[in-house]
Amino acid sequence: MERTERPSRRSSAQLRRRAAARLVGLAGVLTASALVSATQEPVEQIVIGGVTPRFAVPDCVVRQGDERSRSACATISQVLRNDLRFEGLFQFVPDSLLSAIPPLHPEAPRFEDWRGIGARILVVTRAEVAGADLTVEVRVYFVDSGQTMLARRYSGRADNPRVFAHQASDDIMTLTQYKGVARTRIAYCSDRDADAKSRAKELYIVDYDGFNPRRVTVNNSLNILPVWSPDGASLAYVSYRGGGPLVYLARIFEGRSVANLTGERGDSQAFSPAFSPDGRRLAFASNRAGSMDVWIAGADGADQRRLTTTPAKDTAPCWSPTAQEIAFTSDRAGTPQIWIMDSEGLNVRRLTTIGGYNDGCAWNPSKQFSEIAYTARLEAGGFDIAVIDLATRQVRQLTQGRGSCEYPSWAPNGRHLVFSCRRGTRWELAIADREGRSTQTLATGPGNNVQPDWGP
Amino acid sequence: MLSLRFRRRLLLILAGALAAGCGGARRPPVLSAPPGPATPIEDKAVPSTTLEEGPDLRAVEGEGAAGLDLPTGDLEGGPLANIHFDYDSAALTDEARSTLEKHALWLQSHREATVTVEGHCDERGTVEYNLALGEQRSRAARDYLVTLGVAASRLRTVSYGKERPLDPASTEEAWARNRRAHFAVSR
Repeated sequence: MERTERPSRRSSAQLRRRAAARLVGLAGVLTASALVSATQEPVEQIVIGGVTPRFAVPDCVVRQGDERSRSACATISQVLRNDLRFEGLFQFVPDSLLSAIPPLHPEAPRFEDWRGIGARILVVTRAEVAGADLTVEVRVYFVDSGQTMLARRYSGRADNPRVFAHQASDDIMTLTQYKGVARTRIAYCSDRDADAKSRAKELYIVDYDGFNPRRVTVNNSLNILPVWSPDGASLAYVSYRGGGPLVYLARIFEGRSVANLTGERGDSQAFSPAFSPDGRRLAFASNRAGSMDVWIAGADGADQRRLTTTPAKDTAPCWSPTAQEIAFTSDRAGTPQIWIMDSEGLNVRRLTTIGGYNDGCAWNPSKQFSEIAYTARLEAGGFDIAVIDLATRQVRQLTQGRGSCEYPSWAPNGRHLVFSCRRGTRWELAIADREGRSTQTLATGPGNNVQPDWGP
Repeated sequence: MLSLRFRRRLLLILAGALAAGCGGARRPPVLSAPPGPATPIEDKAVPSTTLEEGPDLRAVEGEGAAGLDLPTGDLEGGPLANIHFDYDSAALTDEARSTLEKHALWLQSHREATVTVEGHCDERGTVEYNLALGEQRSRAARDYLVTLGVAASRLRTVSYGKERPLDPASTEEAWARNRRAHFAVSR
């Protein structure tokens, strides 16, 4: 992953306060919502086994000195460190101090050495390539007591050592209360395959760290708005390959797909498919009743029901983590805003009150947080990613000075988001934590890369 | 030197105390007790996931596009001129109405022709709301043609939102060109 600038927290806070001041000036009297600095919330304190986890992740050790094992080892170290850092929960002993330690004996680490450089948790990795197979051993120790917290041996094909490191990172994350994201993937839409004639947009999936982009659709048409099914086996998306926009469901690892999942007839069109958290239902937008409305159906397309009934434009639904409610975009009050209704279409009420253009809701899937991300026009000339807290109605702006950013999607554990930004001429994916810190571009290849969906 | 058992109990107490002590909305996640010293190593097979490129292509080969030309090749040529819209609006301007009246006449004298009315937006809105606005624009144009006597069965609508701009530039001129309804004729 490329890292762009990491502004100091103070300057970000200053920028946000300035932005907030401008906004108050523009908006006049604010209602219950208020724009607040994202950095007012305390940094999360994480504790493992009574200690603040300060990790030492020394280089992976090979069993045999062959080139393939060494290479696999080097990849595993790099990816594992990257994955653990990304989670944003742990401190790390600086690499420079690691090199001051005598060579690691993986069977019997000298814990006093590690204690001496301030490590509280030691992660020891060993790798061996034999033929087409790779075996990796990971042990995680409390340095103070020497006790083992985790001991795993991973075996599989040697052609992709990154997967081993991602697995290890997720397993280490089981020591916390959070599910790791190292094995997650992001689906998105790219025009890299277009030529002047086709102007195609095709769907891709990529590892959360930007590696291994793989093309999913090959139909030389417009394919947009991909969403993962909660089981990670399918993508629902909108394709124009049959003429007009319809929802398709593709079981992407089996090569099977279902056309027109929402059963549009005549020339009605469907957009914005969204699976309920249990994968059993699908919300979507359709114009079959005249104007664009939010509908729901079973995930197989059966039992369809219209949820919104206004002549206004109602679209872009997103589910609450309990599936009891659906947020969506509506311009029934004059401008596009985020509204909420229950999953029967009742109790419709407006959520966003700041800004004149809000769209593209994404409800944080973690039950630990109660907030919705969306695309907001907070400053003139573009969009930014905003998050509204459902209890306090406070809005925090996550992006600033990255050009125009839109289309947020939450990681499954609700601690990070992916979205798309255009600074200059090209749209690229970017990732930030839910406080808007550690924002990084996710380089996934050429072309304009948009409409990301963070999957399992 | 503290015994192992005492140390473990101490860790548990500390862990509990830390958990109880943080009274804020967020309780720090705590592992209650580390596993014992002789932890056996657990074996785990790492699955390999392969994605064959182009599963969708295989899936749709053999399905013909249902008689309708994909409006991708013809980049806005054709006998019926585009109409344009004001920013963030689906209202028909006087000029648009005048153009649509000409289209209605043309369709009267070309009775075999059917038309896909495409609704498009400029890049300055968001993806999803623009798809809805494009739908509204195409429907406005289609509905007006119907009031002018064109049979509804000859007209279909498709929204492209901002996904298919005519002009990729970021200028007022390009944006004005992109806020359009296009009429793709099939005969």
